[in-house]
Amino acid sequence: MRRFVFFGGKGGVGKTTVSSAYAHACAEAGLETLVVSTDPAHSTADVFDQAFSDEPRPVEGYDSLSAMEIDPDEEVTRHLMGIKRAMGDQVSPAIVNEIDRQVELAHQTPGAHEAALFDRFIDVMRNSDGYDRVVFDTSPTGGTLRLLSLPEYLGGWIDRLVEKREQSIDLFEKAAIGNREPRRTQVGDPIVARLRERKENFEFAGETLRNEAAFFLVLNPDELSIRETRRAVDSLDDYGLTVAGLVVNRLTPEPEDHEEGRGARFLRRRCATERERLAEVRESFEHPVAGVIETRVAEVKGDFLADVADELEIEVALDGPHAR
Amino acid sequence: MELWERIAAYREVVEEWLRGLYHGMISHPAYEKIEQEAEDTEDAFLLACFPDAFGIPSPVSYYTAELLPYLATEFEAWERRMWDRESLLERKGHQYHF
Repeated sequence: MRRFVFFGGKGGVGKTTVSSAYAHACAEAGLETLVVSTDPAHSTADVFDQAFSDEPRPVEGYDSLSAMEIDPDEEVTRHLMGIKRAMGDQVSPAIVNEIDRQVELAHQTPGAHEAALFDRFIDVMRNSDGYDRVVFDTSPTGGTLRLLSLPEYLGGWIDRLVEKREQSIDLFEKAAIGNREPRRTQVGDPIVARLRERKENFEFAGETLRNEAAFFLVLNPDELSIRETRRAVDSLDDYGLTVAGLVVNRLTPEPEDHEEGRGARFLRRRCATERERLAEVRESFEHPVAGVIETRVAEVKGDFLADVADELEIEVALDGPHAR
Repeated sequence: MELWERIAAYREVVEEWLRGLYHGMISHPAYEKIEQEAEDTEDAFLLACFPDAFGIPSPVSYYTAELLPYLATEFEAWERRMWDRESLLERKGHQYHF
């Protein structure tokens, strides 16, 4: 299995349970593992009964498991502060107020959260050398998919900005006929340098996601969930990302044969429907089903996690250059 | 004053006039035009970076905000220009010195 493993899917299908169980399995196998939750409604804390923060923190009761929860709000604020600090160094106080408004505005636009989350993603992937496996518990399908499409989209945009900037610098240089000093010069232009740096970051993300990441989609055995999963699989394929498999969660347990009565009849009927759906999933998706997990009586926590991990058939061992 | 000196003085005057004429008619408008073109391109660049200043959402304004510390003076002037500019004709026509 690749080094970065993403779990995605519709809201409420149990992504956190499955990703935590997988992380548990990895940690038990002796891999240094990090669970990263990017869902704004964090629930890793509930699974491990422990509070996590923006920085990786070891999970109690494990030797080689750490977890972190990314808070995009915090990230946006940090970015905002960074810019303001740079502004204090660069700009005369007379202009600061005027520009301040624009900076604030940029941090309230709808894309800001996504951009912040994305930056943090890249950051985690870049600085994950200490971990053998990083498990991402992502936010529900829509948000994550948009996030993953960002590198290409933003990369193209930044390209055009750089082009425009270079064009105007070129003209300024040409306008300096004779020995006049041009207003801007190609050499050491901080704007182009910044934009290039951003672009390089996006390229890194795109490459890493394509070559070093595997995606699993978690779904429940019902029509809605299957349909959404199909859409998600299609878009992931479009982005050139590897969908490694599907995990079907929340199957109803079957009653014993001798049991009769309303409850048993209900369960039997429910199981039959679910079996149909499961067959549909196995048949109509070209991606393998990497785990079928039954509903538990209580929340999946502690010892239950090991149980669930046993039901997952996702490979734990590392492959590629990082294998030990 | 000897003859050669008078010729030299005369040539100097002619040369200065010619240089002035060339500068006024050819080189000055030329560099002015190029510089204005450069300014226009820069305006377009700023607009591409910060369309949200005019209410158009941009997917990268979160990232381009990082450029503001370096673009501050230009940004302020640009914003003023954009609000004030009446028509493209006025700006483009201005270079022909009517």
